[in-house]
Amino acid sequence: MARLTLERVSFWYPATERPALRDASLAVAPGEVVALVGNVGAGASTLLLVAADLAPRVVGGMIKGTVDFRGRGNGEGGRGIVLPTPWTQLSGMAFTVRDEVAFGPANLGWPRERIAGAVDRALDALGIGALAARDPATLSGGELQRVVIAGIVAMEPALVLLDEPTAELDPEGAGLVWRLVRALAGDGCSVVVATSDLNALPEVAHRIVWMEDGAVRRIGDPALLAENALCEAGLATTVADVWRTARLGAPYPLTVAQAEERWRQ
Amino acid sequence: MAAVSAELRFGQVSFSYGTVPALRDVSFALAPGERAALLGRNGAGKSTLLRLVTGLLHPAAGKVSVGDWDTRGRAPESLARRVGSVFQHADQQLFARSLRDDVAFGPRALGLAAAEVARRVDGALAALELSAHAAEHPYDLPPAFRKLAALAGAFALEPAVLVLDEPTAGLDRPLRARVARALSERAAAGVVVLVATHDLAFAAEVLERGLVLDRGRLAWDAPLAALLTSSERLTPLGLAPPVGAALSAALDLPGRPVRERDVAHTLARVAAARGRV
Repeated sequence: MARLTLERVSFWYPATERPALRDASLAVAPGEVVALVGNVGAGASTLLLVAADLAPRVVGGMIKGTVDFRGRGNGEGGRGIVLPTPWTQLSGMAFTVRDEVAFGPANLGWPRERIAGAVDRALDALGIGALAARDPATLSGGELQRVVIAGIVAMEPALVLLDEPTAELDPEGAGLVWRLVRALAGDGCSVVVATSDLNALPEVAHRIVWMEDGAVRRIGDPALLAENALCEAGLATTVADVWRTARLGAPYPLTVAQAEERWRQ
Repeated sequence: MAAVSAELRFGQVSFSYGTVPALRDVSFALAPGERAALLGRNGAGKSTLLRLVTGLLHPAAGKVSVGDWDTRGRAPESLARRVGSVFQHADQQLFARSLRDDVAFGPRALGLAAAEVARRVDGALAALELSAHAAEHPYDLPPAFRKLAALAGAFALEPAVLVLDEPTAGLDRPLRARVARALSERAAAGVVVLVATHDLAFAAEVLERGLVLDRGRLAWDAPLAALLTSSERLTPLGLAPPVGAALSAALDLPGRPVRERDVAHTLARVAAARGRV
């Protein structure tokens, strides 16, 4: 049974004539990592807002089609979204990173020990234990992005929606986020992530959703990221793209490791 | 493209946020036309360094100068005659009713004549291929386009120094290519370009010199290519080679190319020599 199902969903932002999402269908199973890839304006961010029940409920606009989420409303067992603008997601109620990450779980009414455990695990997963006592207002952009992700996963949601979660992260931070995504899925959580970090996806995503002009164009396994059509759209992995530009034969390798193996043959 | 050209110089600069030190004893100079990448872990001090260039912050010790101007004692609006900047969350910093008005804000604030403002705005919009969107409301456009518009606003100042914080975050490949082209044009015209980024593939395409901050100290200042081809140098600084460089190392390609196009060409050449096309 799918945890999230979108059936022929179209969405219009307020006062716009063209839908930002057009007739999109997608089902995400428990424990599955689904990556949305597309160029600017493809509709990936909008799909996440719809899946999070923020559009149209919070942002306004008009929706057609059905969105079905099998889980609780918010937080524990519910759905959590990390926006591409992490600084807009701080509670503004906390003077330390630890309290900021604890803000969500505390609002779920958990016992103190459970909150502490969840916060510790989240800080550890994002590699920000050393920042626990810092004032969130003094953090760098990348540090803030990690804190916001920690605050969402600390609530133990059943569906995590991530919009460009590694955009401002250094390689270590990006690596931790992708490892966390796999770990969440391993625990049965569903993850939908919109990202331009295409090179990370072969090792992270179970399925790739190629979006274009508001519509779902193709859905496939990560090998999709090495197809000619994706290369032409600028959505292939760097290795696939280089292989194709060099006019070496298809199927193109996705990753450095695959390229190395192919090269030795 | 630059009204004046000027060197950007940091002399033994230190800065702290309260008790949290952000930069320690940082010295370097960038000559007109130089293109430098400012690299390092999250929290290494990159954004702080850029804020010191724009005059939003002033050093606790040492000196930041743009040509013969000491940034100390100059407000950001005064420095804007020489320094154009785009911050990390630039897509949030637009406020006018059209892209054109937004881009025109800077040159107008400099007190330029209307014809000169129009010339600069047209040039800046064209450089980033935004002319067709000039009349649109910034918030009707995707965040990535607002980011380009903020960059156009910095171009329109025709500054001697351009400082950019993560200019490619959230941009797709076609838009990154636009930014790359436009920055190269500015540098060729004598503008100092300093870009804080985690996008080493972009840095490899556009930038030549690498400045790496490690916990507030300048840990590396040398040609970028020498840094990007060396995992031994990158890893302790919290950096990872871009995929192009990793691929050419894994396949042991001659000359260890870093830029993706160069990797592809070398790969094609070596494959042909091995008779496997």
